Amino acid sequence: MTELVLSISLHELCQYDELSEQIIVEVVDHGIAQPVAGRNVVDWVFDTTSVHWLRKAVRLHSDLEIDWVAVAMVIDLLRRNEALEQRNRHFEQQLKRFLDC
Amino acid sequence: MDFKDYYQVLGVQPDADAKAIKTAYRKLARKYHPDMNPDEGAEDKFKEVAEAYEVLKDAGRRAEYDELRQHGGRSGSSFEPPPGWQGNAGFSGAGGGNFDGDFSDFFNSMFRGGGEPRQQRSGRRGQDAEIEMPVFLEESVSETSKLVEYLIPVIENGQVKEVKKSLKVKIPAGVQDGERIRLKGQGGSGQGEAANGDLYLHIRLVPHPLFDVEGHNLVVNVPLAPWEAALGTKVIVPTLSGKIHLTIAPNSQAGQRLRIKGKGLATKTGRGDLFAVLKVVMPPSANSKVTALWQSLSDESEFDPRAEWGN
Repeated sequence: MTELVLSISLHELCQYDELSEQIIVEVVDHGIAQPVAGRNVVDWVFDTTSVHWLRKAVRLHSDLEIDWVAVAMVIDLLRRNEALEQRNRHFEQQLKRFLDC
Repeated sequence: MDFKDYYQVLGVQPDADAKAIKTAYRKLARKYHPDMNPDEGAEDKFKEVAEAYEVLKDAGRRAEYDELRQHGGRSGSSFEPPPGWQGNAGFSGAGGGNFDGDFSDFFNSMFRGGGEPRQQRSGRRGQDAEIEMPVFLEESVSETSKLVEYLIPVIENGQVKEVKKSLKVKIPAGVQDGERIRLKGQGGSGQGEAANGDLYLHIRLVPHPLFDVEGHNLVVNVPLAPWEAALGTKVIVPTLSGKIHLTIAPNSQAGQRLRIKGKGLATKTGRGDLFAVLKVVMPPSANSKVTALWQSLSDESEFDPRAEWGN
């Protein structure tokens, strides 16, 4: 059986993604991702879902050459979009149920 | 190897200034960035655009590229670098972005010294991978084992090959739609001593034929005949774990929600609830006797369902 984890530490993130601590601090400062644990920066732990958004943010920042404020807005909209798509799927299913019988 | 016309890729003139190149790149990058555009082919298009920009944004590399272009490079035509060619402007890979280094053979032969496969930085950690993981509602209620099969890129003798991997994972009880679970070391294999990447499972709760999900709660429709709603009845309602008896009170209203505690999805601390939503359904047809009964009901009742309209 495989080891299954729901979190990733700051240290691991920096190492795996070749990111500087400073970049992660920027992402957190702009509210793109929030650590779920750790009082000091070095002890930060992120849940695996916010890591998904954190990585997206870093890619957008470097690939599109846009500043962190704009990245934060884009991420916010992407998240909202994902949530709306999910709600839409949910309502479509309900509607189908309503119309079916 | 095909010659790549980077000016054409960015849609700019060969004498475009740095600012025009930057503007063109930004516009195309926004359009095709895979984080912004899920369409098939967008990622390849973005890589092409990023590669063109990588060369044209740097004055040194651009000058070398222009020289080669003069040498007879035409888009799509077969191309070999001139004998003795060695790019001076070099390329060591920019950190940060996702596509750092994933460039064409043409680029590699120009700026990475020769057409040999690019040497990865030694000891590079394997890539992370993410796959969608469908989970049935029934499975989400308790911890469940699932077999995961996925393709993972592996580098062998400088060639990237996709290898099928399969493994058994324990999905914890109470996973939610959209949640991501990390499996340590199950992503792409690392080079040399370096660690493997991780695998992320993106949880998707499979739509259920009977139940809708609202957070940790479930919703089930309970179809009732008009007289059942009027007179009250007992119905058997399906749940994720067996059936239960539910009492419908007389004069129940369509759309009314009845809460059945603890029969929803699992949470970290317990179980959500199941809501039974009443739905009054008309019989598809009626014989003359039934029609007569409806008629006498209509004569007898003073109920006006459109009283609010004030007609």
